[in-house]
Formats: sequence, C-alpha cells, structure tokens
Amino acid sequence: MTDETLTAHSAFAGLAFSSAPYRGVRVAARDELAIATVLVRKGRLATLTQRIRERFGIELPHGPRRAAAGALAFAGIGPHAWLASSEEHGHGFARLLEEAVGDAASVADQTSGYAILRMSGPKLRETLAKVLPLDLHPRSFAPGDVASTIASHVGATLWRLADADDAPVFEIAVFRSLAGSFWHTLTDSAAEFGFVREREIS
Amino acid sequence: MSAPGQPKQPNRLAQAGLVDRSRPLSFRFDGAHYSGFAGDTLASALLAAGVRLVGRSFKYHRPRGVLTAGSEEPNALVELRGGARREPNTRATVAELYEGLDARSQNRWPSLALDVGAINSLFAPIFVAGFYYKTFMWPAALWEKLYEPAIRRAAGLGRASREPDPDSYEKAHAFCDVLIIGAGPAGLAAGLAAARSAARVILCDEDFLLGGRLNSERHEIDGRSGSAWTREVEAELRAHPEVRILRRTTVFGVYDGGMSGTHTFAALERVSDHLSIPPQHQPRQRVWRIIAKRSVLASGAVERPIVFGGNDRPGVMMASAVRSYVNRFGVIPGRRAALFTTSDDGWKTALDLAAAGVPLAAVIDARSVVLPQLIDAVKRSDTRVFCGAQVVDAHGSRALERITVEDGGRRSQIQIDALAVSGGWNPNVALCTHLGGRPRWSDAIAAFVPGDVPRGMSVVGAAAGSFSLAAALREGAAAGAEAARATGFATVDVPEPRVTDELTAVQPFWCVSGTRSKAFVDFQHDVTREDVALAAREGFRSVELLKRYTTLGMATDQGKTSSINGHAIMAALTERTIPELGTTTSRPPYTPVAIAALAGNHRGTHFKPTRLTSGHAWAQERGATFMEAGDWLRAQWFAAPGETDWLKIVTREVKAVRSSVGVCDVSTLGKIDIQGPDAAALLDRVYINLFSTLPIGKVRYGLMLREDGLVLDDGTSAHLAANHYLMSTTTANAAKVMRHLEHARQVLWPELDVQMISVTEQWAQYAIAGPNSRRLLERLLGSALDVSNAAFPYLGCAQFSWRGVPARLFRISFSGELAYELAIPARYGDAAIRAIMSAGEEFGITPYGIEALGAMRIEKGHVTGNELNGTTTAADLGMGRMMSTKKDFIGRVLAQRPGLVDANRPVLVGIRPTDRSVRLYAGAHFLTLGSEVSLENDQGYVTSAAFSPMLGHWIGLGLLVRGRERLGERIRTHSPTRGGDTEVEVSASVFFDPEGARLHS
Repeated sequence: MTDETLTAHSAFAGLAFSSAPYRGVRVAARDELAIATVLVRKGRLATLTQRIRERFGIELPHGPRRAAAGALAFAGIGPHAWLASSEEHGHGFARLLEEAVGDAASVADQTSGYAILRMSGPKLRETLAKVLPLDLHPRSFAPGDVASTIASHVGATLWRLADADDAPVFEIAVFRSLAGSFWHTLTDSAAEFGFVREREIS
Repeated sequence: MSAPGQPKQPNRLAQAGLVDRSRPLSFRFDGAHYSGFAGDTLASALLAAGVRLVGRSFKYHRPRGVLTAGSEEPNALVELRGGARREPNTRATVAELYEGLDARSQNRWPSLALDVGAINSLFAPIFVAGFYYKTFMWPAALWEKLYEPAIRRAAGLGRASREPDPDSYEKAHAFCDVLIIGAGPAGLAAGLAAARSAARVILCDEDFLLGGRLNSERHEIDGRSGSAWTREVEAELRAHPEVRILRRTTVFGVYDGGMSGTHTFAALERVSDHLSIPPQHQPRQRVWRIIAKRSVLASGAVERPIVFGGNDRPGVMMASAVRSYVNRFGVIPGRRAALFTTSDDGWKTALDLAAAGVPLAAVIDARSVVLPQLIDAVKRSDTRVFCGAQVVDAHGSRALERITVEDGGRRSQIQIDALAVSGGWNPNVALCTHLGGRPRWSDAIAAFVPGDVPRGMSVVGAAAGSFSLAAALREGAAAGAEAARATGFATVDVPEPRVTDELTAVQPFWCVSGTRSKAFVDFQHDVTREDVALAAREGFRSVELLKRYTTLGMATDQGKTSSINGHAIMAALTERTIPELGTTTSRPPYTPVAIAALAGNHRGTHFKPTRLTSGHAWAQERGATFMEAGDWLRAQWFAAPGETDWLKIVTREVKAVRSSVGVCDVSTLGKIDIQGPDAAALLDRVYINLFSTLPIGKVRYGLMLREDGLVLDDGTSAHLAANHYLMSTTTANAAKVMRHLEHARQVLWPELDVQMISVTEQWAQYAIAGPNSRRLLERLLGSALDVSNAAFPYLGCAQFSWRGVPARLFRISFSGELAYELAIPARYGDAAIRAIMSAGEEFGITPYGIEALGAMRIEKGHVTGNELNGTTTAADLGMGRMMSTKKDFIGRVLAQRPGLVDANRPVLVGIRPTDRSVRLYAGAHFLTLGSEVSLENDQGYVTSAAFSPMLGHWIGLGLLVRGRERLGERIRTHSPTRGGDTEVEVSASVFFDPEGARLHS
C-alpha cells in the first residue's frame, strides 16, 4: 500500500442554503487557521505573559479580548485560558506553542476541534441578533472583543475583527461536529438579507 | 361609499378616517364577498359592510358582534385563512385587512345565523358555573368516552389546522438603553425625549399604526390633529439612527429581574400576519427577547363594560371603540345610537357620533350629577338625557333592536341599533405585575393602578391612571428623559405641547340589577352575573376560587374586559371592598402567542442541534442506519445491498469482527486532555484505582464514583507523555465527567497544578477489531509505527506522525478481540476511514455499528450505560476489588455505607434462556420459579440483552439479588409488556473467551 497523503475536509463542506439574492451577509470558512488552547499553569501567569511577549510580540490579553500580531492571535476564553490561532503552521502550531511557553502552560491542539467562519456584510449584525444572545452594537462590542457564548443551543466563541468595506467583520468558532446545525441556524437567519459563501468549501 | 365594482360599504362615512380610500381591498367572511380599505381591520371592514353578527359564544352559542377595537376583544374571534394556515381565535379587531383575506365565524353549526347549538341557552340552568363538576360526576367511566367529547364539540372556540405549518418563525435578540412599550401619546413623548439624547431606544406598539388613542380621538396637539402630530413624531424618531420602531409588536412578558434595573422583555412581532402569505425568506412572526436597561410602560388602558341584561347583543359596543370606528376608520356603528356611561369620557362618544351624523337617541348616565356642559353639548340635538338612570336590558334576536331604560322607577323603551357603553377605564398594568408586583386600588379612578413596579420601569399616561392627554404627554416626556439620563445620556428639555382640555371624572358602577335576562361579565367564557352570585353562595369567594369555579378571566382574552367587573360584583355580594377582595395575578403572555413563534426555527430535525462525526458522510455512503446518542448520530448497523433484517445484519457484523476484522467509529466517546505536574494526582483522586503508577505509553481501565459512592462512569486513561494524560469517557457522560473533574480541580483541590480541556472534537477515532486487526494496521501505518505484539503490547499507546498528520494509537478493546483505536485530527477523519477500509480490503474488513458493538460487549460481560445507571456500586458490577486501599478517592467513604455493602444487593450476573430459542428482553424482572408476580418477590432485573452470534442464542446481563452465589440456578424473567415469563439460567457475566486470550494474541 502506498504512503498517500490524507486529504483534509472542511466541516462546512457540502452544506446547502437558500437565500434572497442580496449580499447582506458573506461568509468564508477559515479552514487554514491553526488553533490551540493554552491554559496557564499554577502561579505562572507572569512567566507565560513574558514568554508570549518575547517570542511572538503579543501582550497576552486578560479578560475577553483578543490580541494579534502577524499571523498569530490570542483570544481570552475564560479565566487563565486562551484560544491561540495562527494563519500559518497548520498542525505544527501546537508544537510551536508548547516550545514557546515551556512549563508555563498546557497546550492542546484544537485545529480540527473547531469549525470557524469569517462573517461580514452590511446585514451581519441583524443576522447575528437571531443567532446570538449578545449585544453586538458598536458601542458594546469593539474590534478585539471576544465572547464565549451560545449560538442557538450551540456553544460558540466569537471575536470581532476590524471593519472592512464599512461593514463589521466577525469570526465565530463552533465545535466541529455541530458545524451543520450552526450553518442551518446562520443561513436561515441570513436568508432574508441574502447569504453569500465567498469561496467554495471543500 | 365604495369604489365602482366593489361590494357596498353602507356604514362607511364619506370622508373621515385614516384608511386609504385609494386602495380598496376585497375579502370574504363566511364565504360572502365584501370590500374594505387598506388601513382597515377585519372588524372595521365588517362593520363598514353592515355585518354585525360575527360569532357565537363559547357555551350558550349566543350571537355576538364586535365589542372593542383592540387586542382586548372577547367576542369577535374568527378563523383566519384556510388549509394548513388556518388560524383559530383570531381577533377581528386586530386582524389587519389584506387583499383576499378569508375568514370564517366559529363555534356555530350549520351556519352563523342558524346555530343549532344555541339550544344550549334553553338548558342554561344546568350550564351554570361548576357544571362540569356537578353534572358529570357519575358514572366516572363515561367521562372520557361520552361527556368530555360531547362537551368539547358543543363548547369551544375555533379549530386549529391539523397540517404542518408551512410558514417559518424566528427568534431574535435586541438590546437598548430605553424600551418604550406602547406608542400612544405617552409612549411617543417618551420616545422623543429619549431619542434626542442619542440613547438606544426601542419603541414597540401592537398596532400597525403608531399613535394609540390619538388615531381614535378628535384631539389637537399644538394646533394639529393628534394623528398629524403622531406622523411628525414618527418621522423624527425614524431619523434617529439609534431608534428602532417595532410596529405590530406586542411586548408580552417581563423576565429576569436585576438589581441594576435591566430586564428582559419578550415581544411578538407579527411580521407577515398582515399579508396572505409571508414573502419568501420572511417569517410569519418573530419573537424578540429585548434586554433593556430602563423601560417606560405606556400601555394605555382598557375601557370596561357595564353588566346589564343582554349586554352581549351585537350592536352593544364599548364607547371608546365606537370613537375608534368613527374617527379612525370612518365607520358608523349603526343608524340610531345611544350611550350608556358612568364617566365623563363616555360623553365624547355622544359628541363624535353627533359629529358623524349618527342620530343619537339617548344618553343614559348612571351618575345622578353630571356636568351641565356635557348635557348642554348633546342637548342641541334631539337627544334624551337620563341622569341617575340605567340600561337594564338590551333586546334583539340576532342584533340589538331596543333597550329598556330605567329612570327613577320608570321604564322606557328606546329603539336603537347601536349602544355605546362606558364603565370607566382600567389601566393596563399587566407588565408591572409579571415579576410579582401587586397593583394598587385607586378610588380616584375606581381602578387598579401600578403598585410595586419592576426596578427600572416607569409607568406613564393611561397605564398609570393618568387619563388626560396633557398628563400623558407630560409624564411620557419626563419618563423618557429620566430613563435616558439613568443610562448615562444627557437630555434636552422639550417644551410641553398645548393640547385640548378633557374631563375624566368617573364614578364606579359595575352591574345593573332588576332584570332576569342574562347579564354577561366574561363574554368569551359566557360567565354571567348569576354565575358570580352562585360562586358567592357556594363559598368560592376569593378571586382565585371565583376564577377557577366560574372560569371568569380564563379565556384567550384573560379577562381584560371582565375580571374587574366580576371582582366588583363578588365584593358587593360579600360586602367587601374591591381592594379587600384583591385581584388575580396576571402572567405572561399578555396576549396569545403561537407555540410556533416560541419554537422559532427549532422545529423538525432542527428541534435540537445534531452532532455528526467526521466519518458520517462515509457511513451514509455505506448504507448506515443511524440512531441518536445524546446529540450525536451514530451508525447502528450497515445494511449491505438486499439486507433488511437488522438482526441478521448485526450477526453478520459480529461474526466478521470475531473471524477477521471490523471497524467502528468511536469518535463520540468523550476525550479529556489532562496536563500538569499534578495530573496523576488528580486521576488518583477521581478514579477508584491507581493511575500514578501507570507508565508512559500505557493505558488503564478506570472506574469513577460519585461523592455518594455510586458509580459515575468508566473509561480509560492513557499516559501519553510526562505530565500528560488523555482520559476517555462514555459518550453519554462526557459532559458530566468534565463537570465532575472541573469541580474537583476548582473546588475540592484548587491547590493542584493541573489543567484540563475537552479534545473530543479534535480527534476522529476508529476502533479496528478482530484477529486481523494487527495485519491491517501494519499495512495501513507502514513504517510510521511498529505495531508488533512485542513493541506494542495490550494496553499500549503511542503518539506518532502518520502521512504527515499527528496520530495516536491505543491497544484497547471493548469487543474482546485483538483491537486498536486509531485517532487522527477530525478534519482527516473521512480520509482515514477510507484508508482503513482500503487497507482492510484483503481481509474483508466489515464496518460495524453500535448494535454489533453492544452484542460483543454483552458476550464479554462489559458494562455500559445500562449497568452504570446511577444505582450501582463498583462491587455490584464485580469491580469491588479495584477500589484501592492505598489512597483516598471521591466516593470512597460513602461507598462503605451499610446500604451499599449489603450482601443482599443485586449484583451483575449473566443469564441465558433454558430454552435457547427464546428471546430475552432488557427491563424484564427476575423472579424465582413459581413465585407470585409481586414487588415483594422481585429479585432484580435484566439490564442488557442481545442475540449472541457466537453462542447462537440470546444472552443477557442483569442485576440479581445475591447473584454471585446463584450461578447455575434456574430463575425466570418476567415482563408484563414483552415476552411474559421466560425461564433462564444464571451464569457468570462473561460468556465468550473468559480468559481473554484473544485480547493478548
């Protein structure tokens, strides 16, 4: 038997939707994003903060905020817990982090554990109002803000990025097995405003 | 007045009203064609067409017409739309007219005009309050078969469609600084004040037109008509970017009280109810959850009827409703009218009717002393005025024809076809009381006004009992500004508008005596004055008992027009005051809400989320039948083409595994990543057995107890690397175990340096089981990992890189075969199962589902959820000796309680039927042979049963009293629902390969 490579599948592959013919909400699957959870070890927060700062040039956020530099970002998802992400490194990301943080934190690869969508568009907030119990008004939820929440009975982590084309941009992470249920809720909620899948998801 | 070719609208005025006469709409009622205008309700359009009889009452099938012009309507309930969209009990007074609207009257047969059920009126003496309880007592057996179906047919409201609802519904969240409930003058003034501060404002109104009573009265504000002022305010509000106006939206509940004053409000937006079919991608209705820091309740008031004989005749209408129909809709209620009032406010109707050119036969004011200017105003026309008089009776067969007026002992008859009634106003205090606040009685207005109001809410205008327009505008503006300031915004002073003066005096007057005809208190539930009197006589004197005994206030209108009158009558009969008697509690929803709206898009298969493994698409292709395991879908079995008998399929799958190799998706099992210097210490404290001695590269089976000593869950933990373990849990208990561990870490032993996180979703995992599993893995993994028995023995584990992807392998077995579990990141799960199938092709690899897995684990006597059911101890399951004596662990102490170490406890055994051809059933109870079927003789029960393909007959596991001492004994299983009595033989719980030779091969 030959040593073939294994093909990765997006959790959002092949999911259908129906919507009005507008461009109210646009989404793209963020399958290229590497993800890991970082949990600080007892009494090592200062060390961890220092190591992250030195190695990646990122000030580890305290509370539900996200800090990014280059390809990397850290989002606070709980007391002393972060969701780290990288545009590069793939499955090597968790190993890279482990080396960087050493004995100051416990790292677990979650690259396959989460299904992540980038969402944008002029009707995104109206759509998310049907999905999330959160106040996403610009006065209440700024770029860099993070929330661990419930998206219509599905646990979710949400963060806001900088606006693009005068419209808000958010990313949302849900557990991979629930991607289909979340997709249904999201596309159903966006249908009246028009839903656009930005690129084919394989 | 009607457009050419349209049916006539004989009662439509030529000019007045806010309807759009350029947009005629045709509609049908009981099959007849009518015409109305955009801006009409079904009720106003029917009245314009001269239709007065619109329904039959609940119990006596009395003819009923339109009583009100709002959501409090008790009478004019219709079935709207047809087919799957049929919608019963729709209030014609709030149903917005649309082209092609089709409605039918309800609770009548064969027709509205000739209703056989009206014969119930003749038997009225037996249909009094409490007649259910009195009449149908005996024989009880007839209740379900005869009485209830017959009563349900005769009494009742509309019929729901039995078809699935073709429309969609949704839920949404909204957040604001200030929520304003009601867009009448008080609400609009509050909205303006708050909006000008730049606060985030939501303004809700149940009507499709903002303005409330301003649309229905001939008010002037700053020299403009009330409706013109409303349009200006609305335009300004719409221009504020932080203001959201929700029309057709009823705030129906207040929830989640907080000390900060923030509350959650529930509101129903009727997005498409004013259309015949919702546009594509639009819901019919939307439920809003509104989280507001401050709220202004400007919900107005409901005018109350007066109880007199025949007060339910079509043509008897609330005085304020008459003004609504005349002023807002340009519709006159009849050709010759009268007014029966106990308030100054009612007199407005007399003036408005006169202005509309309707002959006013009489004004009857129950008060002896009436302001002369009121009398002077109507005296100019040909109107008789009675002060200190009463309408004792209203007569007419299908609609009002005549009234009897009693004036100082003299009775006179007056021919009229419309009677406007005003008994004063009840503030709409419902939303103040949803969090437990009690309303307070006000003698000044003879009504309940807000008492304890939820923190952060202010009540203004008519809802607060301030009935004049000037007061409504003043209070609204003040409350709107105050709410904005309270949430951190600066407000500007708005000059108070100049408005017309009003007289608002009222004198309580509830009920007319001196007639034998039926006088209705609750129109919708046909509760009469006599029913209230009966309740008083029989001792049901508290408001709550009165409500339940007579059903007063229990209909879809929840007593909006009736409760207070009923309470007043009861108070008088029992010589108490109304505040002494109290009032019933109002609970959400304020008006009826369809269950579909509350469900939103969670219907059908989307009722709850579904979790799919990454091998799901592959399993579908292989013909898997899926079953639910919590939120997960798992393959139950894989039917090959032509296979239909599930037991044959499962038998084939088991034999294939035990003879060669099979593969099963076990990704759903819980996986918890545990790291840190104290990881092993935590495992020692949560498992009954020791884990700190487990070497790196090895897996151990573990059992954990609850604090009370009973078994919580079982599973394995693998020692992956220094300070790094991976725990597996059962699928069902994954979340529960995670909580348990977090409790242990955060609460019991916060000093431990250990971190844990669920990685269930990260890894796809496949069990590869059977004598050929090692050969398959050699082909599959190649040089990535040495899986020889020496390098990778039973209970070994390894992390390695396979085809460029991180992978893990565990040599563990649930089937009892030589078996492995291969884990790969879930995004490669689909590719991995296809690679496994391909590598297994030469061995005839067989995918198997959880039924085959279940059969194999029963053959091996392995326990699962059926046995780990929250009632069993480690000892019950034969694992008592696993409990370490060298350490402490959760549940250790309480597991030694006398009840849990009782020698008579049922313990795990195997059973086989003595007649090997007989099927066994889980759930059947154990009895000794020959004993009576009784609870006292119960010996335990069958927890699991399966057909064993290897033994060729059914086998089972069960919990049997002193079971381990009874091996070989013959007993019987008894199931009253399945299988009856079956003789079985008690055996050890392991049926197949008891030495475990196959595991180590």
